[in-house]
Amino acid sequence: MVLDRSPRLDLVFHALAHPARRAIIRQLSGGERNLSALAAPLRMTFPAATKHVRVLEHAKLVRRRVEGRQHFCRLEAAPLKEATLWTESFRQHWEARFEALDSLLDEMKSEERARARRT
Amino acid sequence: MNTTAPQDLQISTPTDTTIVLTRTFNAPRRLVWEAMFTPDRMRRWMQPPPGWTLTTCECDARVGGKLSVAWKSDEANPAMTLRGEFTEVALYEHAVHTETMAMGSGQTVGSLVEKHQFADQGAATAMSITQTYDSKEDRDGALASGMDQGMEACYQSLDALLGERSQGNAAVNAR
Repeated sequence: MVLDRSPRLDLVFHALAHPARRAIIRQLSGGERNLSALAAPLRMTFPAATKHVRVLEHAKLVRRRVEGRQHFCRLEAAPLKEATLWTESFRQHWEARFEALDSLLDEMKSEERARARRT
Repeated sequence: MNTTAPQDLQISTPTDTTIVLTRTFNAPRRLVWEAMFTPDRMRRWMQPPPGWTLTTCECDARVGGKLSVAWKSDEANPAMTLRGEFTEVALYEHAVHTETMAMGSGQTVGSLVEKHQFADQGAATAMSITQTYDSKEDRDGALASGMDQGMEACYQSLDALLGERSQGNAAVNAR
């Protein structure tokens, strides 16, 4: 298994990058809502709201369940807790260390060149 | 000028108890080794968590040589210590050392064996660090370490985004 740069996190940030979707999340933070109830305050058509909900679903920020003709949405906190993300800080910790190492090595190389010129 | 060598950090978990980190550095093996194992150099990249200070940094990369690192925080001194011993050393090629981390209270939070390998990659150096933990639980714990800060950062960015709601709604309403 290779732990790549988290594509899940990219999806999450992409999903949160649109004001309509942030508004949907804000509404859902108050509890489960059906899709029409979500669409109304956004002054959006039902298909437009559906489109945004799909993006949120794709990022696993929102879960949708269908009951008859009603679509209920609720917030899913999981992507902020889940697997791909829990390794992200481990990666960031080492990336930060290695970036510091990069600049240290650049300095060490300059030191050596300076020493070589003097001798 | 940057080389085109793949510098991206690769992290893999080939077995249940290991983590392998691989990264290419734009410097010869000798310098990478020196940066990794010379205390004065180590202080530069051993970045402590926010609010912590590195108080001790000793490293003697010879078989039987000791590794000793300590940090202090506002609340505790030491806040955390890391001690180990080199068990295998081939200069500029590979080094193996043990490592035990303990909280200021003395409570051990994990121990592992770390193997560093250095290989030429043209003028650059590919370094791999293989960490072997006592158990899968310890390994997973290490991978998740700092998750709280990571989580916190995510929640904060979520908060920040949600905090834009007035602007957000204005933008939506303008549509």
